[in-house]
Amino acid sequence: MKMYKALALVMALLMAGVCAAGCAAPQADPTAAPTVEATEAPQEEATPAPEEATEAPVEETTPAPETEETPAPADDQSLQKVLDAGQLVLGLDDSFPPMGFRDADNNIVGFDIDVAKAVCEKLGVELVAQPIDWTAKEQELNTGNIDCIWNGFSISDERKEQVDFSIPYMDNHMTMVVRSGEGIESNADLAGKIVGVQAGSTAQEALLAETELVESLASAPVEFKDNMTALMDLETGGVDAVFMDDVVANYYIAINEKNFTVLSDVLSEEEYAIGFRKGDTALVEAVNAALTELAEEGTLAEIATTWFGKDTTVVGK
Amino acid sequence: MNYGNLDLAKLIPNMLEASAVTLEVFFLTLLFALPLGLLVAFGRMSRHRFLRWPVQAYQAVMRGTPLILQLLFVYFGPFYIAQEMGITGFKFDRFTACIVAFVLNYAAYFAEIYRAGIESIPVGQMEAAKVLGMTRWQTYRRIIIPQVIKRILPPMSNEFMTLVKDTALAQTIGVAELFRLAQTAQTQAFSTVPLVIAGVFYFVMNYLVGVFFNLAEKKLSYYR
Repeated sequence: MKMYKALALVMALLMAGVCAAGCAAPQADPTAAPTVEATEAPQEEATPAPEEATEAPVEETTPAPETEETPAPADDQSLQKVLDAGQLVLGLDDSFPPMGFRDADNNIVGFDIDVAKAVCEKLGVELVAQPIDWTAKEQELNTGNIDCIWNGFSISDERKEQVDFSIPYMDNHMTMVVRSGEGIESNADLAGKIVGVQAGSTAQEALLAETELVESLASAPVEFKDNMTALMDLETGGVDAVFMDDVVANYYIAINEKNFTVLSDVLSEEEYAIGFRKGDTALVEAVNAALTELAEEGTLAEIATTWFGKDTTVVGK
Repeated sequence: MNYGNLDLAKLIPNMLEASAVTLEVFFLTLLFALPLGLLVAFGRMSRHRFLRWPVQAYQAVMRGTPLILQLLFVYFGPFYIAQEMGITGFKFDRFTACIVAFVLNYAAYFAEIYRAGIESIPVGQMEAAKVLGMTRWQTYRRIIIPQVIKRILPPMSNEFMTLVKDTALAQTIGVAELFRLAQTAQTQAFSTVPLVIAGVFYFVMNYLVGVFFNLAEKKLSYYR
């Protein structure tokens, strides 16, 4: 009996300790994503200790472990790490056609995947497509499980604080998708209707920013884990419209021959780019160079035509 | 842990509101699944195979397929089936579908717990009650069920706690419960804190479930 009590006490203390450590640590450094940088720090700080000292006076505000923010080329190992590993790990939500999704044979395919393969060929590495939970994408990136988020990932100011973006490679518009022939022809007709949206998407952000439109709806937008479930709910009458990327909507309607209409009222325009870890500048630059080369060669236009029927890319234009 | 741009003053009330949905799913499921489970248990123990077999098939499907699939099926299925039969626009309300799926699923599990409890009571008690002139209904109500409740409390507490956590699956069909809100807040604020808070919320709910079962066990241990 005494043994048990002692054991229980030890375990309780351990738990409390772990909790405290987990909560207390990051408060010292609230701006950056701390856990990851902690794990990466040793590699990068091993050599350039003296360099850091010379850099310190230049950086006025945050002198401590923020070397990654203003990387001297010498200590940015991001590209070298990918080259050494011989692979670029691409994180994606594998239910996002036509950018990245599973085909009939369960292979991950898509426009983004084809472009990523071409880029990897330029870099001389192999592409590894890693399916992730989209809501946890930043954690996956920051903890080093993936090297980039490349999956119709659109640029936003909020995201810029968390990731470094490549050059944009495609434009995307966000619009309402409705059932055809039910009298909804513009966003004004949506008053008193129910709208669905993918949880955690930029479409959700953009929709919630339109307070006037959202308030005219019958209820708060219904959140779905993915666009496909939202569109299924649109078909079966659970929602009256789905707010999403038109690239995806057009592809879905074309493939499934659904009786849906994409409204021409564009609420938000955005650009697709590739998201990298903060400070992985060398890797970003290498990928940018590869993208530009692919655009000049016409490969990018070729890939776009096979997926969208026309060249929708914007690199070098 | 990543704090990001988090506004706790807004987050906590929102999470409490979403918890209300979680609790609604929890209590409504219990309200319907507990009695339905008992009926299923009797069906499963029936001497008539035309009653026993369908009930067994129902339990096999409910216990043999993922709850997340059952949610999608109950919500979207009727529409597509009705469409095949030429009826368009037939559909359950989102929340109703959610409760139906949870009740069907949990009743199948509850039934087995009831059955284990009922079959653990020696047949001699049944026979003795018969000799004393009690009807079947009286025997169950006065002799069997009170003992059964006592015996099934521990496995029931398992199911109750699993149910609290399973409510997170309701988001699959667009029911905005606690975990959905936490995940949305996580992406909006680029912070893992909402998930940790959600974890604490679920823990507290299950702690209360545990307290309830401990009290019930104490209360019912009158012959010891």
